Amino acid sequence: MKKQINSCPNQTEKLKLVSMLANKAIMAIKNGTIKKRNLVWLELTGCSGNIISLLDAANPGFKNLATQMVNIIFDNSLMVAEGQAAMEKLFAITADDYILVVEGAIASKDNGLYNIIGQFNGQPITAYRAINELGPKASYVIAMGACASDGGISAGRPNPSGSLSVQSILNRKVIKLPGCPCHPDWLTGTLSYILLYGQPELDNKDRPTMFYSTLIHDVCPRRPYFDQGIFAEKLGDKSCMFKIGCRGPVTPVDCPVRKWNQHVNWPIGDDSPCIGCAQFGFPDRMEPFISYNTTREV
Amino acid sequence: MSERLVINPVTRISGFLEIDATVEDNIVTDTHTKGLLFRGFEKMLTGRSPFDAVYFTQRICGICSSAHAMASTMALEDAMDIEVSDQGKYLRDIIHGCEYLQNHIRHFYQYTLPDYVAMPQNNTLFIAKQTDLRLPKIKNDLLVQHYFDSLDISRSAHEMLAVLGGKAPHNHGVFIGGITTQATKEKISRLFSLLHNITEFIDSKMVPDTQTVAQYYQDYFEMGKGYGNFLSYGCFNNYSQLGTLYLNPFIYHDGIKQVLDPERITENIATSWYTDQTETYAPNETIAEPDIAKSQAYSWVKAPRYNGLPYESGPLARMWLSGEYRHGISAMDRTIARVLEAKKIAAIIKVLLSNLIPGTDVQQVYSVPSTAFGKGLIDTTRGALGHWLKIENQLISFYQIIAPTTWNLSTRTEDNLPGPGEKALIGTQITDPSNPVELGRIIRSFDPCISCATHIYQSGNLINSIQIVS
Repeated sequence: MKKQINSCPNQTEKLKLVSMLANKAIMAIKNGTIKKRNLVWLELTGCSGNIISLLDAANPGFKNLATQMVNIIFDNSLMVAEGQAAMEKLFAITADDYILVVEGAIASKDNGLYNIIGQFNGQPITAYRAINELGPKASYVIAMGACASDGGISAGRPNPSGSLSVQSILNRKVIKLPGCPCHPDWLTGTLSYILLYGQPELDNKDRPTMFYSTLIHDVCPRRPYFDQGIFAEKLGDKSCMFKIGCRGPVTPVDCPVRKWNQHVNWPIGDDSPCIGCAQFGFPDRMEPFISYNTTREV
Repeated sequence: MSERLVINPVTRISGFLEIDATVEDNIVTDTHTKGLLFRGFEKMLTGRSPFDAVYFTQRICGICSSAHAMASTMALEDAMDIEVSDQGKYLRDIIHGCEYLQNHIRHFYQYTLPDYVAMPQNNTLFIAKQTDLRLPKIKNDLLVQHYFDSLDISRSAHEMLAVLGGKAPHNHGVFIGGITTQATKEKISRLFSLLHNITEFIDSKMVPDTQTVAQYYQDYFEMGKGYGNFLSYGCFNNYSQLGTLYLNPFIYHDGIKQVLDPERITENIATSWYTDQTETYAPNETIAEPDIAKSQAYSWVKAPRYNGLPYESGPLARMWLSGEYRHGISAMDRTIARVLEAKKIAAIIKVLLSNLIPGTDVQQVYSVPSTAFGKGLIDTTRGALGHWLKIENQLISFYQIIAPTTWNLSTRTEDNLPGPGEKALIGTQITDPSNPVELGRIIRSFDPCISCATHIYQSGNLINSIQIVS
């Protein structure tokens, strides 16, 4: 079963794609054929999970990204500057070329005052204002993670902060990388492609097809169990997780092949259901995450 | 002459924090720490399936998601009256321990080090007017090298976590009964191998690097003391076979260590933007409603108290209570305790791994009671984390969360006693008010996580008349 999946070149080559693109971009920057571009990392109404996920990146790792691929101008989690000096860096870049990566949704209630990201010249800057000032001027906008892409957990019912996706604020192309968090490869691959060639091929929801084209269910190593009607009744079972809540059948992303954290494991490999964190509608439309009522119909 | 210093954002922490300090003759005379993000998890959880709380509450925090998985799981087990096997405890505590390692390594190298080390100014991420840098060039260069080297090590701590937890951040492993999957011989052997490399890095680089920083910044042993009240819910403890590998629940006050009594925990909203029938309540009593017009309020963080007093929580509290670190209480001691704790946690994980029985399946089919109450109290990376939940009609009807940073960066009650973070800042001498590097160094020693501290439902408003004095 495992061999069958791995033997498909369409799947195995995918794993090499990100490092191939990144190495090509790094070489091209070294040779001066393309330029090292500025990157603004704007964390808004979320949990910081996507920058933490990016620190888990390998081939390219975060060091490659921050030293050889882009100039990170602003990132509240990692930048050395703080306070007014940090905010000056953020707003000064709007006069220059930059790629904007957003993690987190945008709290919109009460003029966005649920999320203040800093003070600039004595004025509190809301997430709402920051995205409106930085979004339109960016050369590319990448929504990283579920909250930025579609509201995500931040917009979970009853959405107390009035959280919105980046796209619902900006009237421009927003590349979306849903996932809770976003896999670091999905970002580094997309970014490398942009540096080399510009906007990658996107599907009808603006997700890069190189990562978001195939349903988990279609390449799941446990698919044969589904086809034969052998279903898990509890967590920890080795068969198909469909009846205890798996959202693999509605989630088009390459987790079964790419896996997580140095390709070491993934939710279904951990004997738990996919909860559809990389699909629009997460979490409300993906619940219940886990159910022991195994009457779900195939 | 009185000046007001505002730092917002305080970078290199998790979430959005402002420090608002009043300085007279270069001494901090008063300060307020303010959390500036709200999402409203407690409201969101109401009406959801209790089982979903484990994966849902992890999304409070991307840097310490396993902590919430632990507390929510324990609260559910309490509510459902489920006894957890030792093997189940070992498995999930290994996941939790890996999260400690990931956090402590990243906090020391990525968040703390740039306060003390000259970072390369040819990289835009590091460009800043850094002042009061004291390391000789050769040592400085070495620590910068380790800043980058550490990225591979913290990454492999998350890799360990994913071996048992499926992925990180936001793992799928921790669940009622222990974890979802089984540890095979191959997995255990892989974990030993990864742990070996991490341990070697901690011993050969992280501990010596901390000593280097401490050697050149001795004055920080006298700064940022706070109250010296410590509280812990305990962690890596109460195994039936192994006993307690780290710490049982204790508090420390006035030089006396006592067993923690959870009934003495209250929360107060006197200076936070909420109203309720009472300003002080027990965690299982009520979820306060937001009130943006409330006078005297200045933050979205509430004020947890033990016996009516503010308490510090976190690595220094734990190392102090366990008796393993009694050098002192200060900003530098907090940093040293965190690093030494990383070494200790790595050793604990090794013991747990050695006691795993390969292939043990700890999962069952669980059913939700129609009505129940449960609490999950556990010490996590940043300190004491509590989840209190109620179930009605088999759905969550009440969910209260008090996070470690809620303790450490707490607001004030009617007695106007500053929160532990505020207390640690008051009295600090600021060398250069145009660049008050001391404030960030002290507050970062608490490893604040504002995403956790301000998870609660509330509405916001502009902070009144803030001015920046430069």
